[in-house]
Amino acid sequence: MKNWIKVALFAVVFIAVAAVWFGLHEFNLKHPDTAKAKPDFVVTATTLQKEFEDNESAASSKYINKIIEVKGTIATVTPADSSHINVSLKTGSDISSVICTFTTSGDHSMFRTGEEVTLRGECSGFLMDVLLNNCAPIMNQK
Amino acid sequence: MKRLLLFVFFLSIVLAANAQKFMTKNGFISFYSHTPMEDIKGDNNQVVGVLDISTGEMVFQALIKSFHFDRALMEEHFNENYMESDKIPKSVFKGKITNMASVDFTKNGTYNVTVDGDLTIHDVTNKISTKGTIEVVSGGINANSKFNIVPEDYKIVIPGVVRDKFDKSLEVTIAMKYTPIANK
Repeated sequence: MKNWIKVALFAVVFIAVAAVWFGLHEFNLKHPDTAKAKPDFVVTATTLQKEFEDNESAASSKYINKIIEVKGTIATVTPADSSHINVSLKTGSDISSVICTFTTSGDHSMFRTGEEVTLRGECSGFLMDVLLNNCAPIMNQK
Repeated sequence: MKRLLLFVFFLSIVLAANAQKFMTKNGFISFYSHTPMEDIKGDNNQVVGVLDISTGEMVFQALIKSFHFDRALMEEHFNENYMESDKIPKSVFKGKITNMASVDFTKNGTYNVTVDGDLTIHDVTNKISTKGTIEVVSGGINANSKFNIVPEDYKIVIPGVVRDKFDKSLEVTIAMKYTPIANK
């Protein structure tokens, strides 16, 4: 009887600690580190933009919320607000590009117009351009 | 000389007619509610907006995934549980300035406007009427507005435990900096 109570008490304490740990972990969840995460898709900027242009709803289902590694040539680098910059990549379209948003902390020295880059980000969807957020440059795959 | 003047006059009309649309790809929309524990604030800096100054028509499109929250868990709940952004990726506003006569787009200055239109969030459309300002500046037009929305009006279901913690309505802030669309 005594042993049984001990085991039960231990189980209750264990479950309580696990629950608190899990709760804290969820509460302190960080935005995914796209530099370290494995990409769900690896594409060129031209291919990605064309998929959205040809069939927006199919491309949305395929890519939104996924981590995409995209390779392309930088068309423009512009500040979005006080803490973000937008890097747009050339595509087959004159008016529609792939725009990757970066936080201003971090090394952005490789972001110059005309540079070939590989970037990784979470796909938010398509308005006039394909929009990727929480982006990170991928250095060793130029 | 007369022919040249006529040509210049005609050309200016044609150019003016094409210079009626203004656009931004970095429009700002945020929503906010205070709670006892922490404030709910989602910011979107990737709003696409078009303003036609000949008709007063305004259209905004915003991706739900582009709303950023300080707390990643809040952003996850917002996207996956409340807004279902993988199924409904966008929110759209289509409206019109109702007091165009009070705005002089050729003169720099700030003008008070009323905008009426259809706001679609989570695939639900409601008519809204909001007050804001149009600021005509050199090289562009800035539009600003603040209004409130009630999530339940857009069939956004938030569980009671969470919902009770913040206000019935959320304050939405719009800030657009439009530049003219170049002739193509």
